[in-house]
Amino acid sequence: MTITVTPEVFNYVWFDAEVIRSIATGLVDALGMNDYDVIIEVDETTPLSGISCEIGDTIRIRACSGAFEDTRKPRQQSETATATSIGRVLLRARDRLVGGFGEAPADNDLSLAQVAAWETYSLGRLDRLGVPTNQQRWRYNFRNRLGFTDATDGAFEKIWGSDGLTWGELCAISETAIPSAAK
Amino acid sequence: MRKFFPVEDLARDSRFSKITIADRMADQRTALNVNVDADGPSKRTNNMRLTPSRRDASDGARGLMHGIFVGEIQALEGAGRTCWDFETGTEAPFALKLDMARQCWDEARHVEISVKLSDWMGSEIGQYAENTVLFEAACSSDPVLRLAGVNRALEGLAIDVFTTMKEFGDLAGDQYLEFCEDWMLADEVTHVKMGSDWLRKITENDPERRKKALEFQNVVDKLFSYGGTRSDSQESPIGLARRFRELAGFTDDEVEVIAEVSMQALNERKVAVGQIREAKRLADQSAHK
Repeated sequence: MTITVTPEVFNYVWFDAEVIRSIATGLVDALGMNDYDVIIEVDETTPLSGISCEIGDTIRIRACSGAFEDTRKPRQQSETATATSIGRVLLRARDRLVGGFGEAPADNDLSLAQVAAWETYSLGRLDRLGVPTNQQRWRYNFRNRLGFTDATDGAFEKIWGSDGLTWGELCAISETAIPSAAK
Repeated sequence: MRKFFPVEDLARDSRFSKITIADRMADQRTALNVNVDADGPSKRTNNMRLTPSRRDASDGARGLMHGIFVGEIQALEGAGRTCWDFETGTEAPFALKLDMARQCWDEARHVEISVKLSDWMGSEIGQYAENTVLFEAACSSDPVLRLAGVNRALEGLAIDVFTTMKEFGDLAGDQYLEFCEDWMLADEVTHVKMGSDWLRKITENDPERRKKALEFQNVVDKLFSYGGTRSDSQESPIGLARRFRELAGFTDDEVEVIAEVSMQALNERKVAVGQIREAKRLADQSAHK
C-alpha cells in the first residue's frame, strides 16, 4: 500500500502533506484497505469543502482545501476535519468494493438524499472507530435532505448505529423517513 | 467607563478566534469561477447562492449562521457603545440613544436566538473564525457616520443575510430556521429605518456631513461585499433583498448604488484572483522549464 499526497508543498494554505498521509495511512489500516494504493489530490485554490473518490487500480481522492481546514483558523489544517473527510470517502469506497452496494448509482448520480443517508452511515462508523464527530451536524444534514420529522430522526438513529448494511437496506431505512428518499 | 473602545479589546473567551479584514484579504483562495485553469475553462459552478440544492448546503448554512451569531454580538456592542460614547444633547439626541438602547435589547435577543439555532444546526460557539469588520464600522467618532456604517450598511447586510436564510429554511422545510430568521428580519428592518431616519434628521441642515456619512456607508457596504459575498449575482452566496430594503427606507437609487458597489466588489475579486493565479501558473511553468 502506498499513499501519495499532492501537492507536497502547499502555497495557498498552511497544510502539511505528511500529516494528511499519516492520517490516511491510519484510516486505511483501520478500515482493512491495505491492498489498495491511495492518491490524495488537494485543490488548495478553493475554500470549498467538497471531496470525491474514484475507484480504479488505485483509490483516487480529490479534495477541496476546505475539506481539511480548521474553520476556527482559516487556511490552517484540522486533523479532525482531515480524518472525517478522508474517512467518509474511504468508507464509501470500501462499501462499493466489499459488495452489497452494486446497485448504488455512481457517486455523481446519487441524489442529495442518498448522499445524506450514506454520509450518515459512514459517520456513525467513523464515530465508533474513534474519529471525533458532531452527531448533531450530521443529523441536521440528514434532516435537510429527508425532512424535519420524527420519522426522519428515527431513520437517522438507525442508520447512524448500523454496521454491515447493504445498499438496499440503507435505502429501506431511508424510505421510513420519506418514501421517495431512496430515489 | 472607557469611551471609544478599540476592536482589539473586545471581550471574548477562549472559544473565539478573531480574524481581521486583512487576514481575509490575504486568503487567495476563492470559490468563484475565475476561469484561468491551465487545462481549459474551470469546471467550477457559477451558481454559489446558498440554497438547499447546493451539495454543501448544510455546512454552508451552519457557517453563515455562526457569522450571524458573531455579527449580532458586534451589533450589540456597537449600538451599546453609541449609547455611551456621545454626550446626550450636545453630541447625540436622547431619542437617538433611546433607539440604540432598544436596538441593544433586540440584538441581545438575536444573539440568544442565534446560539440556539447554531446548536440546532450542529455548530458550537466559536466553531468558525470571527471577522471583526462589523464592529470596526461602529468605531467612528461621529455618531452620524456610525449610524450610516452600522444601521444602514451593517443592518442592511443583515436584511440580505436573513432573507437568504429565511428562504433556505423555507425550501428545506426547517420551520425553526424560517420563523426565527423572519422575526429577526423584522427587527433588522426597523434598525435600518432608525438609521435612515436619524441620518436624514441630524444632517437636515448639514449637507456636507450627510455626504460624508453616505460616502462612509459606501465604503462599509463595499467591505461587507468583499470577495463577492453579497450581490445580485448568483455567484454570490447572499442575494440583495431589494423588497425588504425598500421597506427599511432605502430609496430605489440607494439600492442601485449598493447593487453596483456589490457587483464591483465581486468583479474586483475575480480579477485580483485571476491575476494571482495567472502569475503563479507562469511562475510554475518557468520553474519546470
